[in-house]
Amino acid sequence: MKFSSYLKGGLLSVMIALPAMAQANSVTIVLSEELDIVDPCEASRSNIGRVVLQNIAETMTELHPQNGLQPRLAESWEDMGGGTWRFNLRKGVSFSDGSAFDAGDVAHSLARIKSDQLSCEIGAKYFGGMDITTNVIDDNTIDITANPAQPILPLLLSTVTIMRSTEPMDAYVKEPIGTGPYTFDQYIRGMQINLSANPNYWGEAGSVKAAKYIFRSDSAVRAAMVAAGEADVAPNIALQDATDKAMDFSYPNSETVYMRIDHDVAPLNDVRIRKALNHAVDREAFVGSILADGTLLATGMTPPSTIGYNHDLKPYAFDQAKAKSLIAAAKADGVPVDTEIRLIGRINNFANVQETMEALQSMFNDVGLNVKLEMYEVAEWLEYYSKPFADGRGPIMVEAQHDNANGDPVFSMFFKYASGGLQSGINDAKLDNMIADATSATGSTREAKWKNTFKYIHEDLVGDVMLFHMVGFSRVNDRLDFTPSIRTNSELQLSQIKFK
Amino acid sequence: MQAFLLKRFLLSAISLIFLVVLVFFLIRLTGDPASLFLPVDASEEAREKFREINGLNDPIMVQFFRYVGDLVQLDFGTSMRRAEPAIDSVLRGFKWTLQLALITMSLVTFMAIIIGSLAAFRAGGVFDRIVTFFSLIGASAPDFWIAIVAIVIFAVNLGWLPTSGTGSFWHWIMPISVLFIRPFGLILQVVRGSMLSVLSSGYVKTARAKGVKDNIIIFVHGLRNAMLPVITVIGDQAAGLLNGAVIVETIFGFPGVGKLMIDSILQRDFAVVLASIIVTAVAIFIMNILIDILYAILDPRIRY
Repeated sequence: MKFSSYLKGGLLSVMIALPAMAQANSVTIVLSEELDIVDPCEASRSNIGRVVLQNIAETMTELHPQNGLQPRLAESWEDMGGGTWRFNLRKGVSFSDGSAFDAGDVAHSLARIKSDQLSCEIGAKYFGGMDITTNVIDDNTIDITANPAQPILPLLLSTVTIMRSTEPMDAYVKEPIGTGPYTFDQYIRGMQINLSANPNYWGEAGSVKAAKYIFRSDSAVRAAMVAAGEADVAPNIALQDATDKAMDFSYPNSETVYMRIDHDVAPLNDVRIRKALNHAVDREAFVGSILADGTLLATGMTPPSTIGYNHDLKPYAFDQAKAKSLIAAAKADGVPVDTEIRLIGRINNFANVQETMEALQSMFNDVGLNVKLEMYEVAEWLEYYSKPFADGRGPIMVEAQHDNANGDPVFSMFFKYASGGLQSGINDAKLDNMIADATSATGSTREAKWKNTFKYIHEDLVGDVMLFHMVGFSRVNDRLDFTPSIRTNSELQLSQIKFK
Repeated sequence: MQAFLLKRFLLSAISLIFLVVLVFFLIRLTGDPASLFLPVDASEEAREKFREINGLNDPIMVQFFRYVGDLVQLDFGTSMRRAEPAIDSVLRGFKWTLQLALITMSLVTFMAIIIGSLAAFRAGGVFDRIVTFFSLIGASAPDFWIAIVAIVIFAVNLGWLPTSGTGSFWHWIMPISVLFIRPFGLILQVVRGSMLSVLSSGYVKTARAKGVKDNIIIFVHGLRNAMLPVITVIGDQAAGLLNGAVIVETIFGFPGVGKLMIDSILQRDFAVVLASIIVTAVAIFIMNILIDILYAILDPRIRY
């Protein structure tokens, strides 16, 4: 045979093999909604985070579920006192467009998330009520000062995606450029987002060389796509669609469901009524029926993996007799126990939320309370959940689901329990002091203070009807070696996906 | 005819203006977009910043006249969620919805007319009964359920078709089939009923007596006179599809205007809601005018 024939044969083989190899090293991920924005400053939103966070744009530090806070773009950090932390940046890192990463980019990213001309979710969610200033010492060293001082500033920086200092302060970017292991190649609106491996990445290259993100609102369709081999990962599917033991994984998804009680209005302002509400609920009846197996009974606002979670606390026992006697005692003292209590639920908040709320209403009424259920979609629900609360509103309990995958209760406690907290139904000076105290503490002292705060809320104040730590479900194609974790609720690092 | 068309355009324009004004004010009663765009934990300061950036703090009449001033220059505003011109989002979605609607309604019209006419010609016969049975099921069946079942059977179990998406010819089969079922059932019944009425008329009996072939009787003499009420229903069904086949778009991942509109309403993305309504309303007005013209073509007695 002529050499040219061998060459043609060889070329043909390569042409066939290369796409196959490319397909073998690429993944398709199906998300539950189209991304409206892809700017990394919005990466705290779940689906945006699953595409952008640590894939395209990285953070200074990173919280690992098992190993705690780890270096990422910052190699080390130290507390300089007075609310200032010094961060020593990793050297030799560049953005995917070739520009060098330096302290100026960090300063710009922090200023951008707090910009007056842009609404960045990261700034709004994690940096509200504090001023952040930066001082660039040199290209690889930066001082960051928070006012008021934030003992967990390094942890807070695990939420801040670092962008180039040339990015605009007044507009979202449409093609994000970061230091991460993947580059943002293309967004075909309504259809898909394409990423590919960054050849200049400073760290170890992942097995995944390309990723395609597609969007399907219906959970059954997402699950079907993975089952049919059209997708590799559906990070979020409903309980009723998680039917395949080989492909489906449940994981604690960092969400906690609870009833926020309005402590200012009778009869909910009486601790006996709040205890009665807790004793009226048969929490265990929900697990494995309306809610998934693996759902945990909650005693605190944050998941059990959070620092300071008080594992000694027990959920309130289901005890209708005790609930009734508490109500009777309150009634004897003139508490208007017959007043209608509105139970406000949020439509589509989680799988089977309607059934859950109906069951809870029934349980509350079974012990003699007068509870009426009202379900609202998110905009109207927010008017009940967040301040300012309406005057003359009557006694209200609001069902809510709170997410904290960031490892520290500080992301939750002020908002949910302090007198000035946006979603707090409590006005308690002692609790305000406990929260402030724990927030400013460090190390084991911090952990102990949070534990005491949780205990005070759960046992003394009876702050809420604390219900469940939820589980999420993902479906993963057999060809992948990937196990979802608590972080899957907010990020999906392609570098953690391997092929079998 | 020209005077008629001009009058219809003017009336349509007035309806559109009224609709836009109504929706502009009504949607602003539905809640604060800041609460939906920002996390629940966002401070009031952050919410105020969002409102300021998006002009939501201005008095509502200022917002309205600003919107009207922009609209006159064909500026439909910017999507708060997508940070792009609202009209870009809508036209991108409308392209998919229009394709779905055109293909579906073409197939529906063609098949409903043929099968409905044949069923009416042998009314009470086996063919008629079978057709009536399945058309009533089709008119009643929930498309959400049909879509999911179709995916499970044809995509997951049999592997014949893709589950969803828009990539190839095969991707369109299930969505169009699902969309097809209900209007087909409805229009088939209308065709059948209308043809029954026409086929019992005197001139058709005369044609039969003269020995005219059955297919000529049905499709030449009968159908043309039976079409007027059918066209009305076709127009109505098409309008429904132009509004966006939300369920099909959602299940099969077609990024159409129906889903966009629902999402924008839930997200309080005012500019996109208004742009969607305007584009869809214009499409429906044009379709209604075309139907009026078609009436005149089919029935020479109708003159405007």
